[in-house]
Amino acid sequence: MPGDATARPYERGPYRPVPQVDTATAVRRAEQGTVAAAARGLTKTYGLGDVRVPALRGVDLDLPRGRFTAIMGPSGSGKSTLMHCLAGLDRPDGGTVAVAGIELTSLDDDALTIFRREHVGFVFQAFNLLPMLTAAENILLPLELGGQRVDDAARERARMLAEILGVADRLGHRPAELSGGQQQRVAIARALITRPDLLFADEPTGNLDSATSTEVLDHLRRSAHELGQTVVMVTHDRDAAAYADHVVTMRDGRIV
Amino acid sequence: MRTVFLASLRTHLRRHVAAVVAVATAVAFVVVVGVLTAGARAALIERLGAPYRNADLVVSPVGWPASHMKPEDVIAFAERLGENASAIGRASLPLRAGGRRIPEAGVGPISTVERWRWQPLESGRFAVRGGEAVADVHFALANDVSIGDRLVIGEGAAAAAVRVVGLVESPSPPAQADVYVTWPQLLRWRDRLHLGSVAVRGEAGTLPPGGKAQSPEAFAEERLTAVQNQVDSVGVMLLLFAGVAVFVAAVVVTNTFAILFAQRLRDFALLRCVGATRRQVARSVRLEAAAVGTFASLAGAVAGAALGYGLIAAIDLVAPDTPVVAAAPPPSWLLGGVAVGLVVTVAAAWSPTRRVLRVSPLAALRPDVAAGPRTGVGRARAALAVLPAAAGFALLAAAVMQHGVALMLAGGGALFAGVLLLGPVLVPRLIRLPIGLFGPTGRLAAENAARNPRRTATTAAALLVGVTLTTAALTGMATWRAALDEHIGGRHPIDLALTSAKGPVGADVLDRVRRTPGVERAIAVPGAVARVSGLDGPFPVVAAPAAAEVARDGGAFAQVEPGTIKIDFEAFRSGPGLRPGEQVTVRVGERQARLRVAAGSGWGPAGVVAPQTLAALTGTPEPHAVWVRAAPGADPARLGGDLDELADPIGATIENGLRTWESLDRQLSVLSWSVLGLLAVAIVIALIGVANTLGLSVLERVREHALLRALGLTRAGLRRTLAIEALLLSATATLLGTVLGVGFAWSGYETVIRPALREAAFHIPWPSLGAVVLATTLAGLLAAVLPARRAARVTPAAGLSFD
Repeated sequence: MPGDATARPYERGPYRPVPQVDTATAVRRAEQGTVAAAARGLTKTYGLGDVRVPALRGVDLDLPRGRFTAIMGPSGSGKSTLMHCLAGLDRPDGGTVAVAGIELTSLDDDALTIFRREHVGFVFQAFNLLPMLTAAENILLPLELGGQRVDDAARERARMLAEILGVADRLGHRPAELSGGQQQRVAIARALITRPDLLFADEPTGNLDSATSTEVLDHLRRSAHELGQTVVMVTHDRDAAAYADHVVTMRDGRIV
Repeated sequence: MRTVFLASLRTHLRRHVAAVVAVATAVAFVVVVGVLTAGARAALIERLGAPYRNADLVVSPVGWPASHMKPEDVIAFAERLGENASAIGRASLPLRAGGRRIPEAGVGPISTVERWRWQPLESGRFAVRGGEAVADVHFALANDVSIGDRLVIGEGAAAAAVRVVGLVESPSPPAQADVYVTWPQLLRWRDRLHLGSVAVRGEAGTLPPGGKAQSPEAFAEERLTAVQNQVDSVGVMLLLFAGVAVFVAAVVVTNTFAILFAQRLRDFALLRCVGATRRQVARSVRLEAAAVGTFASLAGAVAGAALGYGLIAAIDLVAPDTPVVAAAPPPSWLLGGVAVGLVVTVAAAWSPTRRVLRVSPLAALRPDVAAGPRTGVGRARAALAVLPAAAGFALLAAAVMQHGVALMLAGGGALFAGVLLLGPVLVPRLIRLPIGLFGPTGRLAAENAARNPRRTATTAAALLVGVTLTTAALTGMATWRAALDEHIGGRHPIDLALTSAKGPVGADVLDRVRRTPGVERAIAVPGAVARVSGLDGPFPVVAAPAAAEVARDGGAFAQVEPGTIKIDFEAFRSGPGLRPGEQVTVRVGERQARLRVAAGSGWGPAGVVAPQTLAALTGTPEPHAVWVRAAPGADPARLGGDLDELADPIGATIENGLRTWESLDRQLSVLSWSVLGLLAVAIVIALIGVANTLGLSVLERVREHALLRALGLTRAGLRRTLAIEALLLSATATLLGTVLGVGFAWSGYETVIRPALREAAFHIPWPSLGAVVLATTLAGLLAAVLPARRAARVTPAAGLSFD
């Protein structure tokens, strides 16, 4: 795993609203500005023949480490496709993607799966959680899928993340018993549990009311600013994008 | 709504495939039964009609079967017409073949005119003059009669010697006899003759009193009704199995529609939104079910007819003796099969449709109405299900204690119904039991399998029905078989016995017996030739402490008390002239002993005594019998013949007990395999159901699978998850079904078999049960292959944007 995992701040006990800036965080902050992920000349076309829809028409993008970046654009602008390519969920037709020093376009399906498991966390608009698992089980799922033993340390970490995100008292409940905001916060906790290099959020507030949206966006921003987590959010909502450090705007498959 | 109906049929066609296959299989089953029954019926008519094939008229009694024509009248009638008539019938007469006396043998006529000879020649030639006879092949085989043998038919003044010149088949049961002689020869026993019908060519003229003339076809129809009952009862039995298959298919189809409609609930709500009435939606949905049912039933009928005729061709090839011919397709069966398929499909769609009708138009506007993650199981339902289960237990217990078959059937039915109703509570819990076994993917699989209790339970129920019936049948038959084996083992302890009432059996004979193919073990039995008061001629007396080596009953028959002589009463055709318990004097040379007679059977003409009794009778016992245990699968007729060739030169005789074993063995295995094969159809349909449920669930879970793949589950991992889900489902249903099936078999044993055969033990056929469990579970795994492949093909990005 890249970076010194033991030096990360998550292990230093529960998150406090006013953090004592420790050395590790300072180091992470110092790294801000370096690149977490880079895309060059990305192209992607859907459909065949007459119904060909170019979703990406040559996208170059650098995502700064430890920052909160928003990719914004109207629907059909290719922002979701770009995110899928950056996250290793889909393959571009042309161009390259590198995340944490790994060239994604050269990986086969299994390697790509393992890459996602180890380096990327996801928060989607909906269908974030598996309905038959409890919140706690959902949070621990990426570790289980990675074949890791879920030990007490992992459980403790899940509990801690749940506490930071304010869902500690809902851990035994299934998704159907959680509100939309609670579901999204459980999803953020799940995305953070593996200490990913990149956290992708795809319209994370699309199904939420404005108060809950604010709360979720705040959590995402603090993950970047206070915990040094690189966060990429895809949204069509200008207000949501305003929470980000950078805003990349897309239109018709290009960055504008 | 027609547009909607056609469009949804088109769109969802692929999702109906499994339902179509399930229904088509059940319908095909019914049609196959119909084709086979019709084929058997046609074959019977053909065989029945064989003696009248070239007749223009058949003369038979007016009030058949209650009245007869007088033989003298029939004989006079037939004589008058000469070559234009053939009287059919037989006389029951004593017959001597070699040293054997057969008290009642059927002796019938064989015509010298080619057109009236309905008996196909097997070997040799037809009998054409007095003093000649042809024998039925089966009779010849059973009584060691071969071409060239001399038979004495009748007794006293009416006795006549004939020479066997040929062997024939006797395909027509009513006209069947053991031995056929020419008409003039047969008239020798005219006072014993019974003539049921006369085949006539041309005009009949004056009929014999009490006779009527009809066409051969009409005559065959009349006679068929008697035999027809057999065919019909077999048909009814087969229909029972078809009924099981149809029931399982109904369960599968209900589940299919329930899942399909749940997935399309939002479409229905949208239809209601844009103005479709409840009735319109219901009609469209029911039409869809009817269309699926019609297609499936027609496909099933065509497949069934093809399979039926294929089977008849195969039967003709493998066992040409089996009376089945390809007959015209029976319309009532075809129509019945199609109707059953259609009705079952439409009925199965009825209750899922009701749920569709309850959907409110607003559901279309809510974001997430797709099949809820969990359908709860009401406590009321659980409580309701416990009732029949408990009542079933009580009834079964009562049945076992009181040996009441009706109680047992009612109890079994109630218990099974209870288990099916309890399914949604029971099955998910059972599935979660081995949860830790397969790691995280296994946990996911178990949670997935148990997430929708009703769906899971219904899927399992279909399999449960098939497996329970199969394992119950297997266990029941194994127990019955073991009881019969034991029973018959007591009656026929020795497969083949070579007994010599003359000189001792030399070591070379024993050696050659042992080297005969089909002989597993053979022992020489020491004894001496004795004179027994009350028996004619020399009679060997033997002692066989080593009988256990070859006996089917573990040698129990040969353990005789001192002072007793055990005699095989069945070795004497008309009884030995002794009674059990009687005292006889047994004399060997100068020595003698008074012994009490005990009766037994299965080792031929020799008396079995205790070793010390034998020692008292002779100082130098020599082998006077060789007892043989045949190897499994040995042909009894051939083995008997081979040993006979060894026995003949030394004047010994062969007692062949293996024949009884073999025919029993064959009947039971045919029965077991047929029952298994018939029940397997139900299991196959249930497995289609497993694949179906899984396939449809996979469609429902595209997003979840995409999420799992995004979070780092590999393709292989996803496939494994689904495979384990299918495995858990089928293994749970199979194991539960096996437990129930063995339980039912045990209560059947306690209720039915034990009161009849006290010493019979309950026999669990572990290897067969293991094979059923393994095969069904693995087939369940197989059922996951297609759904799993389809699920794993979807890329995470495509799955996440799937709608």
